[in-house]
Amino acid sequence: MKPTFDPRHRPASVADQARHQARVHVAAILNSYSEVVFLKGWKLGAFILAITAVAPNVAVAGLVAVLAAYGFARLIHMEPRFLESGFYTYNPLLVGLSLGYLFKLTPLTLFFVVTAGVAAFVLTHSLFSAVWYYLRLPVLSLPFVLVSSVAYLAAGSYTNLYVGSLYPRPVAAVEAMVPLWLGGFLRSLGAIFFVPSVVAGALLAAALLVRSRILFFLAVAGYYAGTLTLAALGGSPAAAFGDLNAFNFILIAVAMGGVFLVPSPRSYVLALVAVLTSTVLLTSSEVFWSRWGVPVFALPFNLVTLTFVYVLGLVEFPLMARGSGTPEEILDEHFTGRLRYPGSLRTLSFPFSGTWTVWQGFDGPWTHQGPWRFAYDFVLTDARGETHRGEGLHLEEYLAFRKPVLSPIKGRVVRVVDAYPDNPIGVTDRVNNWGNLVVLRDERDFFVEISHFAEGSIRVREGEWVERGTLLGLCGNSGYSPQPHIHVQVQATENVGAPTIPFSFVGFQADGAFYANDVPPVESRVESLPVEKALENRMGFVLDETYRFRVEGCDAKRFPGVREGELELTVRMAPDATFYLDSGKGRLYFGAHEGTFYFYRLEGSDPCLGALFLALPRLPLAYRRGLAWSDHVPTGVVTSGLRRAFVRLVRSVAPRFGTVKVALTFAEERRVVGQVSSGLLRKAWDTQVILHPFRGFQSVRVGTLHLERIDEAND
Amino acid sequence: MKAAYEKPVILRLETGYLNKFGSSPMYARKVRKDIDGAAIDALVEEFGSPLFVFSERVMREKYREVHEAFATRYPNVVQAWSYKTNYLQAVCSVFHDEGALAEVVSEFEYDKARKLGVPGSEIIFNGPHKPMHALRKAVEEGAQIHVDHLDEIHDLETLAQELGRQIPIGMRLNMDTGIHPQWTRFGLNLDSGQAMDAVKRIHARGHLVLKGLHAHIGTFILEPDAYGHEVAKMARFAGEVSERFGFEMEYLDVGGGFPSKNKLKGTYLPPDVAVPSIDAYAERITDALFENLPPGVFPRLILETGRALVDEAGFLVTTVFATKRLPDGRRTYVADAGLNDLFTAFWYKFNVELDREVQGMNEPAMINGPLCMNIDVLDEGLLLPPLRRGTRLIFSPVGAYNVTQCMQFIEYRPAVVMVGEDGSVDLIREREDLTDVERREVLPERLRRA
Repeated sequence: MKPTFDPRHRPASVADQARHQARVHVAAILNSYSEVVFLKGWKLGAFILAITAVAPNVAVAGLVAVLAAYGFARLIHMEPRFLESGFYTYNPLLVGLSLGYLFKLTPLTLFFVVTAGVAAFVLTHSLFSAVWYYLRLPVLSLPFVLVSSVAYLAAGSYTNLYVGSLYPRPVAAVEAMVPLWLGGFLRSLGAIFFVPSVVAGALLAAALLVRSRILFFLAVAGYYAGTLTLAALGGSPAAAFGDLNAFNFILIAVAMGGVFLVPSPRSYVLALVAVLTSTVLLTSSEVFWSRWGVPVFALPFNLVTLTFVYVLGLVEFPLMARGSGTPEEILDEHFTGRLRYPGSLRTLSFPFSGTWTVWQGFDGPWTHQGPWRFAYDFVLTDARGETHRGEGLHLEEYLAFRKPVLSPIKGRVVRVVDAYPDNPIGVTDRVNNWGNLVVLRDERDFFVEISHFAEGSIRVREGEWVERGTLLGLCGNSGYSPQPHIHVQVQATENVGAPTIPFSFVGFQADGAFYANDVPPVESRVESLPVEKALENRMGFVLDETYRFRVEGCDAKRFPGVREGELELTVRMAPDATFYLDSGKGRLYFGAHEGTFYFYRLEGSDPCLGALFLALPRLPLAYRRGLAWSDHVPTGVVTSGLRRAFVRLVRSVAPRFGTVKVALTFAEERRVVGQVSSGLLRKAWDTQVILHPFRGFQSVRVGTLHLERIDEAND
Repeated sequence: MKAAYEKPVILRLETGYLNKFGSSPMYARKVRKDIDGAAIDALVEEFGSPLFVFSERVMREKYREVHEAFATRYPNVVQAWSYKTNYLQAVCSVFHDEGALAEVVSEFEYDKARKLGVPGSEIIFNGPHKPMHALRKAVEEGAQIHVDHLDEIHDLETLAQELGRQIPIGMRLNMDTGIHPQWTRFGLNLDSGQAMDAVKRIHARGHLVLKGLHAHIGTFILEPDAYGHEVAKMARFAGEVSERFGFEMEYLDVGGGFPSKNKLKGTYLPPDVAVPSIDAYAERITDALFENLPPGVFPRLILETGRALVDEAGFLVTTVFATKRLPDGRRTYVADAGLNDLFTAFWYKFNVELDREVQGMNEPAMINGPLCMNIDVLDEGLLLPPLRRGTRLIFSPVGAYNVTQCMQFIEYRPAVVMVGEDGSVDLIREREDLTDVERREVLPERLRRA
């Protein structure tokens, strides 16, 4: 085990540290370039930097502006972690590029670039904190538009700098050879970085295609949708294709269809609508700004994208993208997530012990209607499906009668009613519908109402704190209840009889299958599975613990790049307080939540971590022999290279394509067997996981690949 | 059952005596012609007499009844089938199929469970005698070991050092639960502080990890409150252990000892009245858990039920071989099964049923076994109508302890069959013959008859 926690893996020696530090700086600078086209990675950044070198003036000015902003940020002691991604420095970059485009480089212009770069950084930071706080919106390139416009306006008076566009721009022979419709697209693409040349545009297009087919496709579609509309409105295709500001269409399409929304047919339509509405804005801005001799920059893109995203956020549009990565990764994650996490955020355990039957669920036919549609009723049944012994004429014959009722949540008791009598069978109390009841206030700020307790059986008092599973009282037949049963509902206020709101149950089995968070159907036999200490301890990975495995039985077809040898996994924490297993080549994020252990997602490219993900995407923290459950894993885990690219592209129009399903079963308390199946695999893969007696995994098998724990003696 | 013709009899009514009318065959007729649809006659014809018959239906019903009673009151309940009660493979398999773990108390029982396919992790290893090699096997196979004494703790620590890893264990406790006799022979005493001292030692050495507590307070316990006291003490002890040493208890094993609906000798009330329902036990135990555990924490509750599950599922069919009249006037019947088959006849007064309707007055009678031993008495006094040779007597409940303790003595041991839920009959143990008895014997050559 390593002695101290160090999330940045800082090397030990001084020389190494300096080298490491230099790498961090360079990566941060280069990341600013890729961030402009909504991608990540310093390699792509370096490539774009090289592309801008087509116009050295532009390249140098851009770089100087980023360096100035980055240097300033370090000067004011901004947390280096925030600067890593280039999020705060791509606006200064764009400002620098725009100035390099306008001015010939002299010491004086460089000074101007530096000040503009710093100004862009300051504006980015302040705008972002305000806009994010009040509107939950990003700033996009709004700071760039503002600073560059201001700079261009000011530049008119700085005759010392202003040399117009006098310096010659080399017109390569290729420019002339490319047809206008294609050249227009490539030049517009290049114009994003102020290098509106066919060559630069072509290189950028190639880079986009390699990194994300979806972004490339959106760029093309956005461009032509916008320019053809302009051409139709203006009557001149040549003018439309010649308009460099058409890069706005590209950015709008890319941002809407692939970055802020999960790529899907619906998102594509929205992106198209956004592009079409922006055409008028583009033309009008051109007319307005040209009076002042200032280009429109990315103003239409910013205005259209921000307003659209804001409105989609207001209506809680279901396809808003979360997380980071390429659009391909986000869509794989999103559509897998939709299958993996069906429940709600208002989660309850069942308010009872043992296996009960769902009598009435949401929108039940008898009483769960109108404002009270989100409620559940439970009864106890025997093997014959009867709720009582004998003829069922007396309360005492009912199996549910006087069985314990447990708290389904953690919170405070806000109301208790305990004095109504239990109705004899055949009689109901229509006046005091809710009978004896308990209302609890959940920590997460909603209320849970449980009804029909037995007379005088409630064991908690108002104001008392309860945990999940605290004994509240006994099931009875008070209120509007034809037979002893437990009624539970969730509401927004504490008033008895308040309208209900949706919720779901966590950590339960229904008819032999485990569900982590879901709503069981009517008549299913359900049981809450309380967390088993032993399993909780086993999956309670502690920061900095290291587990070593021997890797055997590699299969180049299924797991390309795995070599026999040793695998070392270390538990680490990400800055957002999520935990992951780090193999050096990849990160497998995990967590335990409300009775289930999850592997959430895989970053990087480590097939061994992929195998672990496949073998156990989730684990109930409760054991029942033969308990079965299923889960889904992103398609990226079983595919690689071109195949992965193709699968994800298809998924953007057919989200269910290639879904990877994992079916698992508890064979023994420490042995989970399963099967991975998908249209992408020729045949299903068998998996087996044996849990270590104390912590983590003893052995993991996926197909022929076998990981065997070898650090036993170190514990 | 069709109403049998009954000859009219005139009886003198004697004041001051109990009313004998209740015992006329007319009113106290106990006739059983089948077991779950399998006719007694057909069974005996095919498998011989005496014959043990088990009802799979009753076993499964009992298991589910116990499970329901506890699981609807406490969310984390597991039953472990007590092997010593009846370790016939078919019987164990029925309970394992229902979800029971195996509770074994010796290497022999441990091997039996493993051979049946039960993985080590589903075996609870109790008992005061676990030799080193048995212990090693159990550790390696991940069995749940409950240490009984300090010497065993020492053995396990030696093993842990040898294997180079920590071993998870449970600890057996004994305590005063307000009943007599108090079982103090098994495990470490809680009340005197002996158990806490042992935990201290385990913690100090660091080779073992205490994961659970176990206690077995007695057998055929008719007082549910005793379990309430037991569980309360265990839960409090668990809290103390966690606070002082950081060992978190993953389970509390309350042992067995739940009674079946059998009649102990010397009791007056019938078992239906005298034996509390399983719900009463469940209520006391789970109430004590809710009261003494931290809220929302549900360590696994393990029940080592044996007798309560299988006793009522077992029947012994015997045949009247001879009838006699003793000098004191009592009638006695010689049955073909005796104490060699029904060990529990020492403390139970069984329910005895006839396989046919028999006419005539009931009179006090005795049932003897086939052994040429004066103690071979199955029932010292019951009221029976005059029986003919060949009448079958069906003894019940005899499912617990008899098959495992039934001995080869004077007679061969009988066959055992199981009646399935659909009424089908399976032979689950053949009747013994001479080869079974002599298989392990060696006759020295010099003693062999020429």
